Amino acid sequence: MSATSTVESREKAPEIKGRSPREIAWRRFKRNKVGVAASILSLLILSLSLFAPFVCKVIGIDPNTLNLEVLDVSGIPTGEAAKFSLEHPLGLVPGTGRDLLAQLLYGSRISFMVAILTTFTALTIGFFVGIAGGYFRGRVDGVLGRFTDFLLAFPAFFMIVALSQPMVARIQELGILGDNGSRILFLIIFLSFFGWPGFSRLIRSQVMSIREREFVTAAQAMGAGRWRIISKELIPNLWAPVIVVVSLSLPGYLATEAVYSFLGLGVQPPASTWGLLLSNATRFVTVMPSFFLITAGSLVIVVLAFNLVGDALRDALDPRSDR
Amino acid sequence: MRALSLQRRVIAVASASALVLGTVLVSGVTAANAATTPKTGGILTLLEHEPRLDHLDPSRIYTGRDLAFMNSFHTRTLVAYNPVPGAAGANLVPDLATNTGIPSNEAKTWKFTLRPGTKFEDGVAITCEHVQYGVSRVFATDVITNGPAYLQAWLDIPKDADGNSIYVGPYKKNTAAATAAFKKAVNCSKDNRTITFTLNKSIADFNYLATYGVISPVQAKKDNGDKYDLNPQATGPYKIVENSKTQLRMVRNANWSKASDPIRTPYPDEVIIQFGLDEEVIDQIMLEDTIPTAINFGGPLPSNKSKFFDDPKLKNRRMNNSDPYANYIAFNVKAMPCLEVRAAMYYARNAKALLDYAGGPQFAGSYATGVISPLLATDYAPTKVVGPGSADFKPEGNIEKAKALLEIAKTKCPADYKKATEDGIVIDTRQSATLTDTIPINEAAFARAGIKVKFNIISSGYYSTVMNPAKQKDMSGSGWGADWANASTVIPELFASFGGFNLSQNSADPAYKAFEDKVNLAMKTTDRKKQAVLWKQLDAEAMKNFWVLPTTFGKAQEVWGSQLANVFFWVPQGNPAYGKIWIND
Repeated sequence: MSATSTVESREKAPEIKGRSPREIAWRRFKRNKVGVAASILSLLILSLSLFAPFVCKVIGIDPNTLNLEVLDVSGIPTGEAAKFSLEHPLGLVPGTGRDLLAQLLYGSRISFMVAILTTFTALTIGFFVGIAGGYFRGRVDGVLGRFTDFLLAFPAFFMIVALSQPMVARIQELGILGDNGSRILFLIIFLSFFGWPGFSRLIRSQVMSIREREFVTAAQAMGAGRWRIISKELIPNLWAPVIVVVSLSLPGYLATEAVYSFLGLGVQPPASTWGLLLSNATRFVTVMPSFFLITAGSLVIVVLAFNLVGDALRDALDPRSDR
Repeated sequence: MRALSLQRRVIAVASASALVLGTVLVSGVTAANAATTPKTGGILTLLEHEPRLDHLDPSRIYTGRDLAFMNSFHTRTLVAYNPVPGAAGANLVPDLATNTGIPSNEAKTWKFTLRPGTKFEDGVAITCEHVQYGVSRVFATDVITNGPAYLQAWLDIPKDADGNSIYVGPYKKNTAAATAAFKKAVNCSKDNRTITFTLNKSIADFNYLATYGVISPVQAKKDNGDKYDLNPQATGPYKIVENSKTQLRMVRNANWSKASDPIRTPYPDEVIIQFGLDEEVIDQIMLEDTIPTAINFGGPLPSNKSKFFDDPKLKNRRMNNSDPYANYIAFNVKAMPCLEVRAAMYYARNAKALLDYAGGPQFAGSYATGVISPLLATDYAPTKVVGPGSADFKPEGNIEKAKALLEIAKTKCPADYKKATEDGIVIDTRQSATLTDTIPINEAAFARAGIKVKFNIISSGYYSTVMNPAKQKDMSGSGWGADWANASTVIPELFASFGGFNLSQNSADPAYKAFEDKVNLAMKTTDRKKQAVLWKQLDAEAMKNFWVLPTTFGKAQEVWGSQLANVFFWVPQGNPAYGKIWIND
């Protein structure tokens, strides 16, 4: 009886499906509640930023409308304007009386643009240099490795501080871009230039590990060419670390942009970024702390959300890695 | 040139100055605790945001605040402004000299006799040769930079084909003729006590220049050129013992004697400027009175002014005065030759919004009517061309007028019209935290008339950039205060091609020739009343030509700790008379 039932239950048992690594990762990711919440928040913030003009229109706020008449002699909103309201959900920016939420939404667009483009550029360079070094090894790796070391040893922050003015002026003189365009370009170029060696190191180590695996040896034994191995065997196995690195780099560059704008080296007014808003907020930190707290809090939330997504992705895609 | 790196927070404008005379329009001058008895001792601390002072070298200081500070404590000049409250503060008194200068030969020759008993900090007695050497340094224009340039223009020393003096200062080899010419123009008597200046024209107020360190003693053996700026030899009651990244510390100079100095009253034992402090931190120190012997050297932040000036408890620790600066945005006339576009810019600007932003009439001053400040009472009159009293002036902007002017420009000067309405007019401005607010306010204001503006934000070396014709854009924000109580230090400086601070580059303007002729006439006019009439007319003419866009006649605020006494506004320097402050227990 028992033997029969065992056979029956075996027959009834659901078929064990083979799951692709992607499905496994997705299941793992879904189990991480914090990661999921952070992802939803990150996507929401990205969407709000991308569709800022539409969002502002729906809420009925405008980033450029000045409300000078409601400010006192110190530039602080007074009376009803000093409070949060449906009209101005996060209140007004002191000095000009512009809507803070609209400023944050519009400001985030440049911040995200710098962060995304820098991450993309740095990663692309690092990706190919890393593959070249890790796969070819020998002299190629030696040359690329020393150059990477050289850049990693460079005091990037001070280089950017020192070269900001002359380089921006040069870009403007060449007529490539004007004013803020040249500043944004400078930031992206320099942050990428000093940012790719880190990526390159990571990719190189991954490639060196993967190229010794059996499936690569098998491919080589079957006579696969160099480019086929790189494109069909190596690159598909590098996406996991790349996705993790992207999700962790993005908030890093977001904060970096804020730092440079805060220091007056990045984007300049009349454009608005979170760094500029923060810099502006410090002037009013004692007379109107809400301005500073909301702006700084927003940056913290965004950076934290993206970092948590990055962590969750790393856990999901590479369960062997330590936290 | 009297517009260097003074950091007034109100507008991103810099200018420095000493000036005035006659009726002084100073509001709310406070002489705190003036009734108490002076006390000696203690440490006077000045809290400063900037990482250092622009200059300490007496030949190079040219900002009102730094002049007020250094001349109070460290550097003596031949004559000085009397450090007393009110209009009397603008009177000249002898300092190193025994008189305020004796003119002769229609004020082409000026003679000063030195007071006995005066010494440098190393004990060397001050002689005429030291003053002569001090004067010689200003001719080394590649080393001794940024100071007043009047001596090069006025001393009777021949010039070369390029218009430069043949005498090149003490650091380079001079020809025998050049040295002889200098010694003739700046001559010492046989007893080495009397110095005589021979000028190339009549300068009736030459002795006002003698309040500047450009006419002060320097020992040749102590002069290390550019580096003299770091630790100049003291002639006043205090000497520098530390000039570091964090502070400038001065202690009593044992070789100064009260008997030889009728002006200075050195009350504190030490004077210290603490550098590089955050402005917000300085304001909090002042508000909390954490350092009761401190004074805010740069004035409070605009956002904190109400806290200081609305609190009755602080009434003895603050002052709010008209300062000597006329602020403006210079039009680069070479880049903007169309008068109608320049005028339209003036009428489109929202002067009220920007004044209110800077603290309103209470803290930021009043709408300017020209470039001659009301504090220059003899030469001031509302021009009735711009500002209050003029027909078309509206504080919020006269948009109809601006649009009408642009309509004329559309056919009269289409290229300029296109620049104003399509390409955008570029305004040079100094990097400042307030730009995040003032740029949007300006953009919105000019857009009402269809004018586009862009901003060229200059992070460092503002004046060296905008004074370079190759680098100056269409408009440049600035400010100017008279060097002394005569508009001869304003109108020619700002609008004559030979002036030291002509940001307008107006020499090709059709109206320029007649203007310059009138300037030359005014310079020659020795009758002060007639000269004043000419300056008033020239101020109005410059405004009619819109060579500048006048903005405000400024105000400045000072705050200090509870133990400081006798803090009062020193009118000619536009700053407190720091040397008269004492410390109560």
